[in-house]
Amino acid sequence: MGLEFIDRSLRSTGIVLLVFLPFGVYYIGLYPTLAIFSGCIWSLFNLIFISAMVRATIRPEGANKMKTIGLALFKFPVLYLSGYFLLKIQIFEPHFLVIGFTGLFGIIVLRAVGRLISNVDDHTTKSIQEVK
Amino acid sequence: MDYQSMLAWSLPIGVGMAAIGSALGLGRAVGSAMEAIGRQPEAAGKIQTAMIIGAALIEALTIYALVVFFMLQGKIG
Repeated sequence: MGLEFIDRSLRSTGIVLLVFLPFGVYYIGLYPTLAIFSGCIWSLFNLIFISAMVRATIRPEGANKMKTIGLALFKFPVLYLSGYFLLKIQIFEPHFLVIGFTGLFGIIVLRAVGRLISNVDDHTTKSIQEVK
Repeated sequence: MDYQSMLAWSLPIGVGMAAIGSALGLGRAVGSAMEAIGRQPEAAGKIQTAMIIGAALIEALTIYALVVFFMLQGKIG
């Protein structure tokens, strides 16, 4: 389970979100669906920024300070202000925003459980050992 | 002390406690990950992945507290 796990989880969440959109609009309405969509997109960007910051900071050749500072300066004010804005405007129900926000974590947990059940990591380790 | 006053006192304290708890948890998680990477640099990718997901989950808990704050804020005054 390397760093590509996060990229794939982000991609899976995006696909699930796109598939969910028409069904959500049809079954629960436009604004709740938009709230779930916004919460999930916010969560996706949050994970992208956390991941980019960690990758820029922890690497063998030393931290890329400028990139880390740039990401931190963008993530903390812009992303959090947009979250505050989403919560503060009265259009979206906070419950639906939370559901969207949690969607990404649900997909990560499901992917991790799937890997655990199918023993993907064990097979990968064994095949690497066989090659060596 | 009435219900609204208690809410007005407890909401900021609750959010503050959530932030302190998350900060302690995040610090501990990242510190442990750094130690683990220092001991086993070849497993850095796996450790980083677990750390990033853990950091996002810990951050999510604080955001949940903030959402609850916003939901209950309307009931004050």
